[in-house]
Amino acid sequence: MENIISIKNLNYTYPEAKTQAIKDVSLDIKKNQWVSIVGKNGSGKSTLTKLVDGLIEADSGSIEIDGQALSEESIWDIRSKIGIIFQNPDHQFVGATVEDDVAFGLENQGMPKEQMVKEVDHALELVKMADFKNRDPQSLSGGQKQRVAIAGVLATRPQIIIMDESTSMLDPEGRQTVLDLVQDLRAKQDLTILSITHDISETELSQRIVVLNAGRIVEDSDPATIYNLGADLTHFGLEEPFSSELMSQLRGSLELPTGYLNEEELMDKLWKLRSKK
Amino acid sequence: MNKLIMGRYLPGDSLIYHLDPRGKFLLTFYFVGIVFLANNVASYAFLMAFVLFAVYLSKINLGFFIKGLKPIIWLILFTVLLQLFFTPSDHPLWHWGILTLSKEGMVIASYIFIRFILIIFISTLLTLTTTPIEISDSIESILKPLKKVNFPVTQVALMLSIALRFVPLLVDETTKIMDAQRARGVDFGEGGLIKRIKSFVPILIPLFVSSFSIAYDLAIAMESRGYKDGEGRSKYRVLNWEKRDNMTVIFMAAVTIILLLIRSY
Repeated sequence: MENIISIKNLNYTYPEAKTQAIKDVSLDIKKNQWVSIVGKNGSGKSTLTKLVDGLIEADSGSIEIDGQALSEESIWDIRSKIGIIFQNPDHQFVGATVEDDVAFGLENQGMPKEQMVKEVDHALELVKMADFKNRDPQSLSGGQKQRVAIAGVLATRPQIIIMDESTSMLDPEGRQTVLDLVQDLRAKQDLTILSITHDISETELSQRIVVLNAGRIVEDSDPATIYNLGADLTHFGLEEPFSSELMSQLRGSLELPTGYLNEEELMDKLWKLRSKK
Repeated sequence: MNKLIMGRYLPGDSLIYHLDPRGKFLLTFYFVGIVFLANNVASYAFLMAFVLFAVYLSKINLGFFIKGLKPIIWLILFTVLLQLFFTPSDHPLWHWGILTLSKEGMVIASYIFIRFILIIFISTLLTLTTTPIEISDSIESILKPLKKVNFPVTQVALMLSIALRFVPLLVDETTKIMDAQRARGVDFGEGGLIKRIKSFVPILIPLFVSSFSIAYDLAIAMESRGYKDGEGRSKYRVLNWEKRDNMTVIFMAAVTIILLLIRSY
């Protein structure tokens, strides 16, 4: 499969900062994959997304999106291919009502009114928020606001969706609905998902996990391999997944297989443990 | 606080709601202007009848309009009392020091009172039936001719609508900051006026800082969604001037003519 994002030797230092935020990062991301980028605060993960969308300009290195190099000329083209869902649902809601907000990106493209109405309805349908069309943002829950933000991004039909800690301010229920929705959309809409998080439990639905630490890529593999690092993850400021932590504690008294099991698999193993004997 | 700033839009469904907000906006100002043409009992009664008719058409409970008087009730009473006791007259009914109560004073005071009621009722009618965003849209549309002199009309309109959108958010932010200060022992309701004003400085500064950071986040979000500079944008909300809006203007013209006929010269 072809690479939709191709980053080569990227470097970036914030103005007046002493240390580099991104150090020589190279990364290729394939189409229709869900890639999680994890790391603690200040590891450079949000900086990386801003660089990819051209919101800040790299000191050196190159970024290619869908075969097009990011430059001053191509920036608006590239931005139309990428949709970002940010962390705080309140700080990205531009419109006075749900439908106005979804239409914002389309208005920027100069789409005619009739077509906009169709696209807005379609996008709200996809995120199951059609019933809330005329509501104002203040009357929505955090999860609902993020779904509207996703609709706003979907309306412009991007190829890549970047979730910049989009679920970190949501309650567990809101987080689950948002993650399930993204998973569902990825399958149906041929989208590439780049999700940025510091919560390892959120990466379960992704196919690949990239661990950033102090601006460098320190691990890059499939989830099972990453989760297998177990306690080593704490070196990168990440929490060990709950099931992996539980397993390492149980290993002293129970016979458990090596390798990572998710919570459900572990549960299965545990209640079959006695029946085997 | 929230309700005070956001206008008091009341979701509803009636003819007045469906009128073009531009028409409503301009006609409200126009009406406030012609109120000053009334100068006798008949003309005031006529305008009162017109306003009550408009209130009736809006299908909104009269109580909401009376509530609109509340914030300025002291200003109204003060003005009315001033007229009542300080209108000079050759035939005072009652006289004490500089205070004079006369028939003329009573008439003028009641005119002033009615004038207040007319103006407040009609502007309340506008804010109750028009969302803030519709008002900002109409301002954009009304200011459009200024584009010719390079006035950034669309940008100003977007600014206005974003400002309206962020008022409740900033109110939340203020409450959060105040709670944080209270948790550290600040009492906002205590002390003299100076002390109370001083205790608001530690609120304003964090509020200032956080509104800048919200603005930064929003700017990034807008840019990521392809907002450039307001040029080449299409509009999702389109205002439609319809037949009923023409009718309203004609009706208003008729009201003006009748008013001119019955006022005394």
